[in-house]
Amino acid sequence: MLLAGLRRLANAVVLIVAVVLLNFLLIHLAPGDPAVVLAGEAGGTSPEALEAIRHAYGLDRPFMVQLLNYLGQVLQGDLGHSYYFDASVTSLIWQRLGPTLLLSGSAMLFALVLGTTLGVSAARRPNGAYGSGITVLSVVGFAMPAFWLGSLLVLLFGLRLGIFPTAGMESVIPPTGFFAQMVDVGQHLVLPTISLGLVYLALYSRTAKASMIDVLGSDYIRTARAKGAGPSTVTFKHAFRNALMPVVTVAGLQTGALLSGAVLVEIVFNWPGLGRLALDSILRRDTPVLLGILVVSSVVVIVANLLTDLAYRLIDPRIRTGVAR
Amino acid sequence: MKRKLAIMLCTVALFASACGGTASQQGQGGGATDTLIIGGPLEPRTLNPAVQSGMVTALPGAQLFASPIRHGKDFTPQPYLAKSWEFSADQLSLTLRLVSGATFHDGTPITSEDVAFSLEAVKKHHSFGKAMFGSVSSVETPDKETAVIKLSTPTPALLLSLSPALLPVLPKHIYGDGQDLTKHPRNVKDVVGSGPFKLKEFTAGNRIVLERNDSFFLQDRAKLKQLIVKFYPNSAATSTALEAGEIGMEISYDPVDAGRLAKNSKLTVATTGYEAAGALNWLELNTKNQYLKDVKVRQAVAHAVDVDFIVNQLHAGIPQVAPGPIHPGSPFFSKDLVTYNHDTAKAAALLDEAGLPAKSDGTRFSVRIDYNPGNDVTGKNVAEAIASQLGKVGIKAEVRNAPDFATWSERVSKYDYDMTIDSVYNWGDPTIGVSRTYVCDNIKPGVVWTNMAQYCNPTVDQLFAAAAQEMDTEKRKQLYRDVQRQITADVPVVFIETQPIVNIYSKTYTGMPDGIWGVMAPFLEATGTQAR
Amino acid sequence: MTDTMLPEPTTRSAGAPARQGSVFVALLRSPVGLVGLLMLATCLLATVLGPMLYPVDPMEIAGRPLLPPGAPDAPPLGTDEVGRDLLAGLLNGGRVTLLVGVAAAALSTFIGVVIGGLAGYLGGWIDSALMRFTEFFQVLPILLFAMVLVTLFQPSVGMLSFAIGIVAWPGTARITRAEFMRIRTLDYVRAARAIGIPSLRIMVRLVLPNALPPIIVISTLIVGSAMLFESGLSFLGLGAPGTVSWGTMLGDNRDKLAIAWWTVTLPGAAIFLAVLSISLIGDGLNDALNPKRRKR
Repeated sequence: MLLAGLRRLANAVVLIVAVVLLNFLLIHLAPGDPAVVLAGEAGGTSPEALEAIRHAYGLDRPFMVQLLNYLGQVLQGDLGHSYYFDASVTSLIWQRLGPTLLLSGSAMLFALVLGTTLGVSAARRPNGAYGSGITVLSVVGFAMPAFWLGSLLVLLFGLRLGIFPTAGMESVIPPTGFFAQMVDVGQHLVLPTISLGLVYLALYSRTAKASMIDVLGSDYIRTARAKGAGPSTVTFKHAFRNALMPVVTVAGLQTGALLSGAVLVEIVFNWPGLGRLALDSILRRDTPVLLGILVVSSVVVIVANLLTDLAYRLIDPRIRTGVAR
Repeated sequence: MKRKLAIMLCTVALFASACGGTASQQGQGGGATDTLIIGGPLEPRTLNPAVQSGMVTALPGAQLFASPIRHGKDFTPQPYLAKSWEFSADQLSLTLRLVSGATFHDGTPITSEDVAFSLEAVKKHHSFGKAMFGSVSSVETPDKETAVIKLSTPTPALLLSLSPALLPVLPKHIYGDGQDLTKHPRNVKDVVGSGPFKLKEFTAGNRIVLERNDSFFLQDRAKLKQLIVKFYPNSAATSTALEAGEIGMEISYDPVDAGRLAKNSKLTVATTGYEAAGALNWLELNTKNQYLKDVKVRQAVAHAVDVDFIVNQLHAGIPQVAPGPIHPGSPFFSKDLVTYNHDTAKAAALLDEAGLPAKSDGTRFSVRIDYNPGNDVTGKNVAEAIASQLGKVGIKAEVRNAPDFATWSERVSKYDYDMTIDSVYNWGDPTIGVSRTYVCDNIKPGVVWTNMAQYCNPTVDQLFAAAAQEMDTEKRKQLYRDVQRQITADVPVVFIETQPIVNIYSKTYTGMPDGIWGVMAPFLEATGTQAR
Repeated sequence: MTDTMLPEPTTRSAGAPARQGSVFVALLRSPVGLVGLLMLATCLLATVLGPMLYPVDPMEIAGRPLLPPGAPDAPPLGTDEVGRDLLAGLLNGGRVTLLVGVAAAALSTFIGVVIGGLAGYLGGWIDSALMRFTEFFQVLPILLFAMVLVTLFQPSVGMLSFAIGIVAWPGTARITRAEFMRIRTLDYVRAARAIGIPSLRIMVRLVLPNALPPIIVISTLIVGSAMLFESGLSFLGLGAPGTVSWGTMLGDNRDKLAIAWWTVTLPGAAIFLAVLSISLIGDGLNDALNPKRRKR
């Protein structure tokens, strides 16, 4: 158990190093002088600034030295310097990470809870009106571009009905008091969460339904039924846990995609997160920030995968032996 | 930061348990009395109007800093920090008498020394400081409440230049510490001003919060307790927030959208305002560009641009065509200009003459078109329309986006651009806002809204210099007529249209700044309640 | 936004070796697949024939901005915020999206099959090394990675396809690996090995054909998600310059939704329907090729 955990951890570290290496390669593969790439806007860069960058990144030293230098810096949490903001990339990203995690986390939760519930309940009569409805929902949800859905939701619930705020993470004048502020952020969170979460809701409900049908047809459940367990007991006590496994697997695999989706949804809702920062950095050619975001979001995915692993072990005692996946 | 983190975490918990159930109870009841939220693409690089022109800085700047004189409707000068003023008989000296007992936000008295310091600062650092105060030979301070501005030549536009947006009175004890004023740290934080509002917060990417200055020198201090400037990425997002009641006011540059919002029964669309701004929307050309350095190519571009489409179709006929460097509403506007009708054949012929024939794929050369971001309708959309129009004469134009004002201004002010859509203000008098974008000695790298075309014609310089000190209005008009003709012949800028600027605000507000400077003047009378 | 969101759970086991050519017939027999095919055919026809039947340049300004559909002097579906013809945009805007979708899916299928196949068939340390490698790509947030690539190397149709394809393959690799591992132990493969047929030949001629059904399903679905990615990148203004794309149209006009619904709703609907048709086909294929599911 402990050994398996350590192995996963070591694996995660290897992955992080690999992501950093990729970043390093990107800087050098990009057309043009790496110093210019790192400085951002070529036209506004003075020779002195470029010289400073060359020195900071050791670009005047041998390739391997540069690589180790860069690796060492990043692993110490130094993601470089944004010449646009004249600030450290780490601090810029740190300010924006919270909102992105909040949005992605609530979308994930929303999709997991509602998706599993819908899928499991649909499995009892998969071809009935309800079951088919869930199938249609899952197909439609999969094909719906999140940025389009978001725009439509703003129009309907923000402007026409005025139920939810149209953009941002909090009111311009946040209310006073902890609870009130929480409600305020919660209100701003509703529409972006739905926009981002719908695709995953579709996916999880579909996965949950399929695996529930599998499980309900298995010998193990037939035995439980034969023993006289009622339908709800069968569904929730025996089958649910087993049906949840594939959902967790899929959810774990989705973290990267979820963060990607968050980029788009953040733009639609003017959410003050990493996605907005990434896009602005692209338009400003602020490469260090952009590359920093890539590293940080990859690390988020790696951590999420570790957590998924953990969740997996909690749900399924059989895995505790350490044979992961 | 920790508190915010906690709020966010708890919100997730709330979501898990209630799944948004509580979220439908909108608002916390009532609203914020005597608070106004102005929204828009309004994020400034600095809050100090002495070193940066433009509305984005002038809006908070005019609240933070007072100036010697204000202006009422019809451009009448009114007492502000100067309770009275008088010109000498020879027009070569102006004596300002300051109100007694006025203090900066930190309690230090405001003296004539500060006025002198501020004028010198503006003259030195502002993009048209020299145009406004170039004729000022010295500022004498016989006592703490008297400042005498000595002039080398008569200066007709001087009183207008003493407005809050143009001559903020800065505390010398803060800004006179020898640091470079353009990059002074106190330009963005812990601002000590002289105006009716104090800076409470300026968060990059989010908002500026201004709080009433209760020890303001005027008897009737501002009525609003709090004034917030909330940044939105563009005007469309701002209009959405205004309609949803999330903000109380926007400054609209979008003529089409303003027409639409006028039908909203909850909103007032002001019918006056910004008469002194004299804003023009145009296409500026980088005359050092390898193609655009040839005047024939610039003329070809002017012929290729379909001004009529932009004004009458794209902008629904709301702005006016502005064929030259001076706003058509100005008394100095001249109709005697070199004009360029929309004529693709002529444009093509000019390009052939310039030695830029069409290649086999129909193109002649490529350019990038930038635009001042924030107001898509008058910026990006015009850029796209012009890109399409230039394509018809074989100029391949690519529209380059900028995420925010700072990025765009960095590019264009350091000449990393080919052409850019921009709105530039005349600022009430041609002396103040016109010459700066054309005279040779105002090519200042890194300073936006200077002569960014890098255009230089000594004739133009001489005409502007003469007009700036001519006290006879008819003779002045004559000089401006000549200069307008010369500039339109040289085409450093393709002139397009006027830029209507309109205040739009919730009906709950009264006394809003709909004067000649619009929001670039102190919010003293405004009052109302932010709905939330 | 849906790189690896592909239906591993529902394609875990394909049954007996599938007969080639019957895939299409089977798809026609599945009602879901048929609907998807018809929708896709409509899309393709509109994209291929549309620009010929309605030869209006989608980049050119056709009239006053924001004319609603059906307004006098307006093009059939109205104009966008700059005055471009929306119908022309819709007919031409699908080309890039579909092209990038198919190219990215082809690239990712190729990579996925090669890596998954080698890992599954050879096993041992090669398997674990290749799976580590796969895991690495699974960790990259696909849209952000594509954003970085497109920024550093200039956007173009080829670059977009490459950027999406190079990160979309881990799902394919995992499925291929599982299939190869299963088929490798079947009797006919063992027999082939026993008579000394080279490994590569066995993999390509004997194992791959029988592993195809789930690979086809996942590749189809990758076309759909690649289209969503292309739209997302274009929406952000990072699409191929000088081309019209549904995503670009949506992104450009997004702010006009409140006053000109057609400028945002129509391109969005086009993306939605195109992706929907692909995923219906994927579902249909899955039903047709997966006997276990067909029973239900």
